[in-house]
Amino acid sequence: MTTLPKQWTSIEELAGDPAFAKKIAAEFPVAASFPPTARRDFLKIMAASLALAGLTGCEKSPFVAGIPYVDQPESALPGVPRHYATAVTLDGYAQPVLATTYDGRPTKLDGLPGHPATQGRSDVFMQAAVLQLYDPDRAQSPTRAGEPVTWTDVGAMFSDQRREWQKDGGKRLRLLLSQTTSPTLVRQIRELQSQFPAARVHLHDTSGERERIAHAIAAYGEPLDLHYQLDACSVVVSFDDDFLGPGPRQLLNAIKWAQARRRGDVPGIQLHCAESIPAATGAVASYRLRAAPSRMPHLVETLAARLGVVGASVNDLSAEERRWLDRTGAALNAAKGRALVTAGLGTGAQTARWVAQINETIGASGQTLKLTSPVADPGVATASLDELVIDMNTGQVDTLVILDANPVYTAPGSLDFASALSKVKTSIHIGLYRDETGHRGTWQLPLTHDLESWSDARAVDGAATIIQPVMTPFYDVRSRHQIMAMMLGRDQAADESVRKTWRDAFGESFDAKWQQALRDGLVAGNAPEIQATPVSGKIEPAPPGADGSDIAFRLDPTVWDGRFANLGWLQELPKPLSTLTWGNVVAVSPAWAREVEVENGDVLEIDIDGRKVSGPAWIMPGQADNTFGLWLGHGREQAGRVGDGIGYNAYSVRPAATPWLAQGAVRKLDRKETLAVTQLHHRMEGFDLVREVSVASPTLPAPSPQPSLYPPHPSAKNAWGMVIDIDSCIGCNACVAACTAENNIAVVGKAQVEMGREMHWLRIARYYVGDVETPRSYFQPVPCMQCEDAPCEMGCPVHATTHSPEGINQMVYNRCIGTRTCSSYCPYKVRRFNYLDYRYTPEAPAEPVHNPDVTLRSRGVMEKCTYCTQRIQAAHVAADKDNRDLRDGDVVTACQAACPTRAIVFGDINDPDSEVSKLRRSGRHYALLEKLGTRPRTTYLAKWNDGSDDEDDRT
Amino acid sequence: MTASATDILPTDQSIGDISRQLTGIPLHFPARRQWWIAMTIAIVLLVLFIVSVIELFTRGVGIWGLNVPVTWAFAIHNYVWWLGIGHAGTLISALLLLTGSEWRNSLNRFAETMTLFAVVCAGIYPVLHLGRPWYLYWMFPYPATMGVWPQFRSPLEWDIWAVLTYLSVSVLFWYTGLIPDLANARDRARRRGWQIFFGILALGWRGSTIHWSRWSRTYRIMAAIAVPLVVSVHSEISLLFAASQMPGWHSTLFPPYFVLGAAFSGFAVVSVIAVALRAMFGLGNLVTRDHLDVLGKVLLATGLMTGYGYVFEVVDTLYGGNSHDLQTLLNRTIGAYAWLYWGAVVFNFVPLQLLWWRIVRRTGWALLLISASVIIGMWLERYMILVTTLYRDFLVSSWRHYTPTFWDWSTYFGTIGLFLVPFLLAIRFIPVISIFETEKTLLDEQEARDG
Repeated sequence: MTTLPKQWTSIEELAGDPAFAKKIAAEFPVAASFPPTARRDFLKIMAASLALAGLTGCEKSPFVAGIPYVDQPESALPGVPRHYATAVTLDGYAQPVLATTYDGRPTKLDGLPGHPATQGRSDVFMQAAVLQLYDPDRAQSPTRAGEPVTWTDVGAMFSDQRREWQKDGGKRLRLLLSQTTSPTLVRQIRELQSQFPAARVHLHDTSGERERIAHAIAAYGEPLDLHYQLDACSVVVSFDDDFLGPGPRQLLNAIKWAQARRRGDVPGIQLHCAESIPAATGAVASYRLRAAPSRMPHLVETLAARLGVVGASVNDLSAEERRWLDRTGAALNAAKGRALVTAGLGTGAQTARWVAQINETIGASGQTLKLTSPVADPGVATASLDELVIDMNTGQVDTLVILDANPVYTAPGSLDFASALSKVKTSIHIGLYRDETGHRGTWQLPLTHDLESWSDARAVDGAATIIQPVMTPFYDVRSRHQIMAMMLGRDQAADESVRKTWRDAFGESFDAKWQQALRDGLVAGNAPEIQATPVSGKIEPAPPGADGSDIAFRLDPTVWDGRFANLGWLQELPKPLSTLTWGNVVAVSPAWAREVEVENGDVLEIDIDGRKVSGPAWIMPGQADNTFGLWLGHGREQAGRVGDGIGYNAYSVRPAATPWLAQGAVRKLDRKETLAVTQLHHRMEGFDLVREVSVASPTLPAPSPQPSLYPPHPSAKNAWGMVIDIDSCIGCNACVAACTAENNIAVVGKAQVEMGREMHWLRIARYYVGDVETPRSYFQPVPCMQCEDAPCEMGCPVHATTHSPEGINQMVYNRCIGTRTCSSYCPYKVRRFNYLDYRYTPEAPAEPVHNPDVTLRSRGVMEKCTYCTQRIQAAHVAADKDNRDLRDGDVVTACQAACPTRAIVFGDINDPDSEVSKLRRSGRHYALLEKLGTRPRTTYLAKWNDGSDDEDDRT
Repeated sequence: MTASATDILPTDQSIGDISRQLTGIPLHFPARRQWWIAMTIAIVLLVLFIVSVIELFTRGVGIWGLNVPVTWAFAIHNYVWWLGIGHAGTLISALLLLTGSEWRNSLNRFAETMTLFAVVCAGIYPVLHLGRPWYLYWMFPYPATMGVWPQFRSPLEWDIWAVLTYLSVSVLFWYTGLIPDLANARDRARRRGWQIFFGILALGWRGSTIHWSRWSRTYRIMAAIAVPLVVSVHSEISLLFAASQMPGWHSTLFPPYFVLGAAFSGFAVVSVIAVALRAMFGLGNLVTRDHLDVLGKVLLATGLMTGYGYVFEVVDTLYGGNSHDLQTLLNRTIGAYAWLYWGAVVFNFVPLQLLWWRIVRRTGWALLLISASVIIGMWLERYMILVTTLYRDFLVSSWRHYTPTFWDWSTYFGTIGLFLVPFLLAIRFIPVISIFETEKTLLDEQEARDG
C-alpha cells in the first residue's frame, strides 16, 4: 500500500492545504485523526454507506447521472432511435406496441405493426403508458407501514409468512388479483395453489369483464368471449354497447368497423344504436335511438319478437321506439349472415340472452360473431371480491396479497373495502403506486412498469405477446413474477419465470422460437373458436323499472378506472363529445336540466341506497330522459401529485350487485363548479364546416378557384398534404394523444385549460346538428391546415413562420417574439401560444419522456402542428442514404399512425399515385373555409349521410 | 373656421401681462395643492404600472386573460386607444397651423404635450404585448449576422415604422414650437439654475427676424409632414386588423373609420385638459369660452363622422352578405359582448348630441363631462372591435370568451400614471400655453381693433 503513489481527493488535499485539513476535521472529526491509508479506507466505507443510503432514499432522486460509454457498443448510436416489440397491458389484455427508445430510454409507443389486434394502430391508453413509466409518483422501493425497507426484508417476510401458511395449507391466505391474461402469472398462481391448497384466489376487475363472462354464461351456458367480426357486417345493432368506445377492444373493433365502412363506393356498414348516454358508437350510428338503460331489455325482446324468436313477446313502445325497431328489424332481416346484434354491460342477463337468440336467428354465429373460450381465463380466480370482503369482515383472513389492484378505491362503495382491510392482520399490496390500498396495507411492494418487465399477456384476440423490458428499472422495483416467485419461496431473475413458461410451451428449439417471439412481439396462434348455441328455455321478462332514475356507470374515457389518474397527458385530453378535461361530470338529459333548471357545472347529489356523492352536472345532448351518467376513475386521494382530488369518486356509490346500472335519486345542490372544457360551442351556426354527402348525391360541388394576388409558391419535389376522412372519425382521441407524445405537447393544468390555453396541436372539433334531444354528432379533427396562402405567414413581423418548399407552414420557435399575430389572423385557430412557461408546470411530464427530436418551447413562443416535420426529415435522411426518392408511406405522421380507423392519410400531393392524391380526387373531398382562399393542404372527406333524409325519421 | 375673423381673446390685456402670466406658471407655480394631489394619484398609478410590468416580464403575458382564440386584447386595444388620443395634438397644432386657424394658439402647446406622452403610452404597449419582449429589436432592420430581415408584408412591421416616425416627428414639432417660449422663460428666470435649464433648451434663440423667419418656415414644414402622418399612422393601425381575413376586421372602411375615431377621442382629451387647466391656472382670459365653443364644434363634427363609420360598418356587412361577417355583426350587437358595442354607441354619441346647443359648448363642466364620456366610449369601441371579432371567428369549435384579469386592468390604469406623471411635470416646468403665439393672436386682434 505504501508504495502506491499518493492518492488525493481534491487539489487542496494534494497541496496539503491546511484549510482543507481543517474542513475535513470539521466535517469528519474521526477521519482527521486517521493515518493517510486508514483515511482512504474510511472514504471507501463512506462511499459504500452513501450508496446504501441511496438505495433506501431513492424515493427522492429517481434519476442518476449517466456515465458515457468508454467503448461504445456497435449497435447503440446516440440519437438514433431503436425499436422494440413488446406490450403494455390494459385490463390485463396485452396492447402490443413498438417502443421507440433513444439511448435506452423509451419515448413513444405505437401499435405493433403486423399484430392482428393493433395493426400498428393505437389508443389513448397505449400512447400514455410511456408517461406512466416515468411517473415520479410511482412507488420506488418496498415499504412497510410507510417506511422504506429492502427486498431482503421482503424476502424474510415472505419466509415467515410461508411458515404460517404451511401450518394450515394457506387456509387464511387470500390472493386478490386484477384481471390477467399472463400465462406465466397463471402458472405461478396455480403453483401457489398447489403449495397452499386451502388458499383462495379472488378476482377484482373494474372494467366489467366479470359481468361480460356472466352474461355469456347466461346466454350460452359456458364462459365465452364474444368477438365481433365487424368487418364481415353490413348491419350492426347495438343496445347500449359502446364497442367503438374506449377499452381494450376499441382498437380492434374500430379497425374492423372502418374496414367495413370503406367497403365499396358507398358505406359498407350501417350502425343502429339504442343508446342511453351518448358515446362514440351512437355518434357514428346511422340511426340512433335515445333510450333509457332500463328500456333496453324491452326493446331487445320486441326486436326478437319481430325477427321471429320463439317466446319473445312484443312490449309497449313509444312511437320513436317503434320507428327505430321497424327499421332495425327490416335491416337485420335484409342482411342475414352479415348482421350482428350486441348489448352493453348495463343491459342485464336477459338482454344478453335475447341478443344471443337474435344472433342465432340472423345467422351471426361463425359469420359476424366469433366465440372463443375467455382470453382472460378466470379459472385461477375462483371467488369474487364480495366473498373476500365477507371473509375479511368475519376474521377469516390473516394474510391478504393484493396483486396489481386498488380495491380500497375501486371496490363498490357498498362493500366498504377499507374497513374490511383493517381487519386483516397482514396485507401486502403489490402495485405500481403506493395508492389508496398501498397506503392502508401493511406492506407495499412496488411493481415494475410493463416497459421494464419481463412478462407475458394475451391481446383481446387471444394472441400472446412476450413482454420484454425496453429499459432497466430505475426504481428499486420488481416484476410481478419475481414477487410471485418470492411467495413461492424462490428468488429469481426477472426473466426466469417467463422463460420457464414458454420453455414448456415452445418445446423443441426454444432459443430460436424465443428470439422470434421477442422480435415479432407475437406468439403465433390465437384463441380457438368454439361453437356454442344459445341456452334455450324461457327467458324471464325483464323486471319492471324500479322507482327512481337510471344511474349508469361508465369508465372514464381518458383515465379509465382511475389507474391513469396521475398522467397529465390523459387528464388534459378532452373527453369525446363533452371535451371535458381534468375531472368528471354527472351527465344529465337536456329535458331534465330544463325542468330542474340545471346548468353545466351546477353540483348534483346522487343518492343510491343512501350512499351519496356529488359532482358537477353536464347537459349531454341526446341523452335519454330519466337517466344519469356517472364516470368512474376520478376523485382519487392517493394517485399522486397530478391526479389527487380531481373530480368525484363514483365508486363510492356503486352497488356491488349491479355495478353498471343502479336506481337512485338526483337532486340539485346550491353550488357550482368550474369545468375545464376545450370546446364551448356545440353548433355549426349554419356554416358548412362539416359537409355531408348521401348515396343520392355522393359528390360535393366542385370548388371554384380562389384568386390570389400572391404568386404561387414554387414547390419542391415533394408537396405534403393530409386528407382526413370525417366519415371514419370516431372521436377516440388516439391522434391527439399520439401528437402529445410525439411533439412534447405541454400539460398546462386545469386552471389554464379553463382560461382556454390548452396546447394540443390537434383538436377534435365536435358539432351537433338537430335538436338538443336527438342531435346528430360529428367529429372533425383539426390540425394545422398548412395553407399555401397562409394568413399567419403574412402577419408575422419577424419571419418566425415561413413557408417551406415542400409546402409546410413552418414555425421557427427561436425566431418567435410572441406578437401572436399569426394566431389572430389564423382562420382555423390551430395555433397555440405559450402564455406562461409550461415546461415546468406541476403537471408537466417527466423530462425523459420527451422526444429528443422535438424542441421544447419556452414561454412567449407560438407553436402549432408541423406535420411531424422531424419524421419528414428522418425519412429524407433515410431515403438519401439509400439514394432514392421518397415513396408513399415513408412519412407517417404521429396522428396518422395512431388512428385506428385510418381516417388520417398523409403523403405527397405531387405524386398522383399517392394515397393522399387519390383521396383528394374523391367526390367527397373539400377544404375547410375554402372561400377564404387560403388553399389548405389539410383537407377533408365529407361524411356519409346514410341515415334517413328526413330529420324526424332519424331517431 | 372663422374664429380668427372675430376676436377670440379679450383685447383689453397687454402682451406683457400674458408673458408674465404664462412664464409665471412654471416660475411661481400657482396651484401647488391641486398639482400635488394630481401628482400623488399619478405616482400611485405609475408605481402600479411598474409593479405590473415587473410581474409581466417575470411570468409572461399569461398573467393577462388572453387565450386562444383571443390572442390580442388589452395590450393592443389600449395601444390603439392611446395612439388615437395622441393624434388630436398633432391635428390641432399642425393642421390648424396650416389652415391659419389662430384660435389654436391657446391650445396647441398642451395638446402637443399630451400627444407626446400619449404616444409614449401607446408605444410601450407593443413591447409589453410581446411574448418575448427582449427580442423586440428583431422587428428593426438591423444588419443581423444571419442575414435575417424583418418580414415587410406584416402590418406589425409597418406599424413599427409608422409609430416611430410619428413619435420622432411629434417630438420635433413640439420642440420646434417650444423654442421661442423657452427663450422667453430663460429671459425671465431669476435663478441661475433655471436660466441655464431654459438657456440650453432655447438653443440660443434671440428673437431676431431671421430667427423668426427660419423658425416659421421650419414649423410649417414640420406641420406639413405631421398632418399626413396622423392619417397614415392610424390608417396603418387599422391595417393591423383589416389586413387579416377575420370577420369584422377585414374591411376597407377601417382606415378612415380609425382615423376619425382617433381624432374624435383626441379632441375629447384636449377638451378635458383645456377645461381642467383653465380652471386650475385661472386661464379664462386665454382659453376663453369661445375656445370651448370651437372645441365643442370640432368634437361634434368628428363624432358625427365616427358615427357615420358605425352606420356604414353595418350597411357594409348587410350589403356584403358574408355569413361570417353577419355572424360577427350579431355577436357585436346581441352577443355576449353587446354591452361593449352599445356602451360604445351610447357613450360616444348620446351625450355628444348636447353639443348642438351653444350654451352647452360654452359651459366648461358640461364639455368636460361629454368629453369624458367620449373617452370612455372610444375605449369601449377599441375593446369591442378586438374582442368581438376574435372571440368568435370562423370555426365554431374554437369560440371562447375573454375576461380581463387584475393584471390587464392594472397595466391599463398604470399607463394612465405613465401619462399623467410626465404631463404634470410638463405643465409644472414648461409654459402650458404658447406665449408668443397667444401674444401674436392678441396683437393681431388689437391691431384690428385699433385699425
